[in-house]
Amino acid sequence: MNSSMPSSRPLRFLSEPRAALAATLARWAHARQGDDTLPLTLGGRRIYIVPTAAGVAAAALLFLMLLAGMNYNNSLGLLLCFMLCGVALVSMHQCHGMLAGLKLQHATADNSYAGGLGDLQLLFENAQQRVRGGLLLRCGDCESASFQLLPGATQPVRLKYQAGARGRQRIERLELSSSAPLGLFRAWTWLHLPLEAIVYPAPAGARPLPERHGDPRAGERRLRVGGDEEWADLRPLQESDSPRSVAWKVYARGGPLLVAQYDAPVGVQRVLDFASLPALPLEQRLSQLAQWVLECERLGDSYRLQLPQATLPAGHGIAHQRACLTALALYLA
Amino acid sequence: MSARPASSPASAALPAHTVWLLLAGFLGAALLNVQHTALWCLPLALLACAWRARGLRAPLRLPPRWLRIAVALLLTGAVLVSFRTLNGIEAGSSLLVAMATLKLTETSRRRDWLIVLGAALFLLLAACLDGQALWRLPLYAAELWLLCAALYALGAGADAPDSAALLRRSGLSLAAALPFALLLFFFVPRLPGSFWVLPRNHEAFTGLGDEMSPGSISQLTQSGEAALRVRFDTSPPPPAERYWRGPVLHLFDGYTWRRQHGDAARAPQLQFEGQAYSYQITLEPNQHQVLIALELPRAPPQELPNAFATFDYQLIAAAPVDRATSYRLQSYPQHRSLDALSPAGRRLDLQLPPGRNPRSVELAQSLRARAGSDGEFIDAVLDYLRRGGFTYTLEPPLLNLNSVDDLLFRTREGFCGHYASAFVMLMRAGGVPARVVTGYLGGTWNPYGDYLFITQSDAHAWAEVWLDARGWVRVDPTAVVAPGRLTEGLDQLLPEADGEVRGLMSASWIANTILAWQGLNAWWQDEFIGFNFSRQLALLDRLGFKNHDLRIFALLLGAGAGIWLGLIGWGMRARARPPAGDELSRSWRILERTLRHAVEPRAPYESTSDYAERVGRAQPELASTLRALARRYARLRYGPAGSAADLEQFRRAVRGLRAGYRAASTSRTRASSSAPPMKNRPSTRIDKR
Repeated sequence: MNSSMPSSRPLRFLSEPRAALAATLARWAHARQGDDTLPLTLGGRRIYIVPTAAGVAAAALLFLMLLAGMNYNNSLGLLLCFMLCGVALVSMHQCHGMLAGLKLQHATADNSYAGGLGDLQLLFENAQQRVRGGLLLRCGDCESASFQLLPGATQPVRLKYQAGARGRQRIERLELSSSAPLGLFRAWTWLHLPLEAIVYPAPAGARPLPERHGDPRAGERRLRVGGDEEWADLRPLQESDSPRSVAWKVYARGGPLLVAQYDAPVGVQRVLDFASLPALPLEQRLSQLAQWVLECERLGDSYRLQLPQATLPAGHGIAHQRACLTALALYLA
Repeated sequence: MSARPASSPASAALPAHTVWLLLAGFLGAALLNVQHTALWCLPLALLACAWRARGLRAPLRLPPRWLRIAVALLLTGAVLVSFRTLNGIEAGSSLLVAMATLKLTETSRRRDWLIVLGAALFLLLAACLDGQALWRLPLYAAELWLLCAALYALGAGADAPDSAALLRRSGLSLAAALPFALLLFFFVPRLPGSFWVLPRNHEAFTGLGDEMSPGSISQLTQSGEAALRVRFDTSPPPPAERYWRGPVLHLFDGYTWRRQHGDAARAPQLQFEGQAYSYQITLEPNQHQVLIALELPRAPPQELPNAFATFDYQLIAAAPVDRATSYRLQSYPQHRSLDALSPAGRRLDLQLPPGRNPRSVELAQSLRARAGSDGEFIDAVLDYLRRGGFTYTLEPPLLNLNSVDDLLFRTREGFCGHYASAFVMLMRAGGVPARVVTGYLGGTWNPYGDYLFITQSDAHAWAEVWLDARGWVRVDPTAVVAPGRLTEGLDQLLPEADGEVRGLMSASWIANTILAWQGLNAWWQDEFIGFNFSRQLALLDRLGFKNHDLRIFALLLGAGAGIWLGLIGWGMRARARPPAGDELSRSWRILERTLRHAVEPRAPYESTSDYAERVGRAQPELASTLRALARRYARLRYGPAGSAADLEQFRRAVRGLRAGYRAASTSRTRASSSAPPMKNRPSTRIDKR
């Protein structure tokens, strides 16, 4: 699956030739560079550089200066023009140097919901003694992240990607660019990283949650008290716990981060069954199931997911939610 | 490469110091052009910059679009009124200042600032086109530095580092650009000729002119401005023969002498005698067509196509000299005319306005009647000037319309122009053809540059009279009034009132400094400003390229630029290379290097203490020492911050180990092999402790 989605904006059509050219170039670069592995150090040969619009205007200005200097055979004017040419070329070198030698230590893609935006996290390292400024990192048509790296700095960068349809999504290509220091040139490189995210079905659907199974008294009690104030126990926070289950009131009083364990008996659970939604088409079924998973998590209920080929045992918490959503994402995909 | 990113760092508001840099750069550019832009330009630019600077504190209310357009039209109109054109350096740079000022009142997008910066750079170019004097060079360099820093500031947008860092960065870039700029300067072919000609307004230049009215001048301002420089191939002529001939004035209306344009008569054939002087003159721009030459040049200069000699031996250039111009000449101070003076020439140089200066005409006629020949008549007139109580002054009284009568019989004070005028008039009244020659006399020898330096204050006027036996003969009537004028500079002849100036000049170190500065200026003018296509070809010759093909230029440029680019890249990488660890890890690396033959090098995952243990297993005699060192290293690296003394102690311990280890291994080598002893290290190198 490709990360760049065809867009229906009418303006896109006008800019289509340019985008097509960019895509061709990127494919060529990919064929030339091959896939990248982490950690990655950007070599000079994979960095491309062209003048910006300001650079073209500057070249025109320099040409005018050259003409004026030549016309009068004015040595000082010519020297000025040549000095500026030199500065522009030095800036070209510097622009290239903004990317060359930059290290990408680590990159991960967070899972996301279909049609939404997902997070990418990259860890850049600047081992050199120079500021790398004006860096822009972009994935497809999403908003770019801009950052600069101080000498010797290691910095995480967070970036959005456009999630496509449910399933596994490979983040094909990232573009890292900089037009520092003068804005006369723009250097960029394409990163083809081993980045893969799982795109969950977009949660949707208004069907009511299936009823709880198991000890009905316990369930009623929970329903009657509304569940907020009463808990059976407090235990220290674990990584897999949902932020929703943290006892924030304890924390607000200056206490440690504790998890409130509600008085939900082990036997009480909701069964989210694929087969219970026969009327809906496949994708809508999966969306409804995803919606239920999220709702169960919100309520703090234990739930079991039943798919035709697999059944996930009852449970709750972030790890369980992830497992269920992943199962939905990869169902028949 | 497709869609532009929606947000870029540059679109954020610029930091205050960036705005200050930009404003300073623009104001500097406007200031460098102040001498030729319209009077209102600088105040306008100042006003706009002050307004913009105020905007750093309070939000600005930008003027509406219609107002900006109206002001733009108004300013264009103002330039048109001031200069009657939009073409040319004066009008062009005024317009540029006006439009950039207007741009400042627009929004503060990056693009707008870039346009202001571009205008400032072009203004700097306009300043270069207007004046290339050496003393301006530091100003231009400083301005370029500032503008370049502003460019960097603008490029960094909101992330811009402080001004000092920007200036340092800009200075480094300019330094890196200089070799490339010089390469282009020397090897980009300077195609001769102009693509277009901009009008230049004809300023009033001091020194020589097309006409001379000595009576109208009450104070001759001494201008130390350079007039020309002369470099001799031969030895220079003695001071008494350093007459630099310029415009020759024939037409006299009783008050003013004027040039005769066009060939009024045939030039008598000349026979040159005596010593010849070959020299090169560099003439400062003076907007005149008459080229200065040592009396008398043999032929017009070959460097200047279309330069020609007139019937009165003036050299005329094809166009007014509006830039420093060099040419080579050969002159013979001794010469004779072979022909007689043509009737037209005689008529021209005997012409006198009827009824003017009657007393002088009378005087001349009576002197001529008493003299036996033209030669004696000349002597009699000179004698009259010598004994008549005349004085030389640069502040003569004004003369009435009968200027010669007024001078000879009333004021008796004047400078060279007065006496030349009076003398020629008396000659003509006595029937001897005569004319006024203006030019320069003397010059200062500059030992730093080996050339003769002639300033506008060396301007002089003298006479030439026709003697049938010899032709045109130079007579300098000023010499009999003020004999010193001939051999010494003008400043030596000044009355006591100017003692202050003279005192300054006579202080030798000041004089020396001035000479050195002039020498530097001459070098600048000759080698740098005067660099042109023919010099380029000469340079190629000197580099050993015999065929002057344009391909050679391309080759040199390409090779030079390639080398330069490579060096810049290498230099940038070298500067950016991270330092190789701190003092502590450097010391530890010494240790590892010492032991590199004894044990496997330390793996990246291996800690220093693990390494020490491993070494200890391989070399038991080092085990305790190394373990102690590793402990010390760990304490210094991870423990509470150790003092510099602790670090120094660690370093000494490592060196001690190295020295001891080397000594031991050397002795081991010697013991094991019975080879002749190598040049062993002195034993004092062994551990000091």
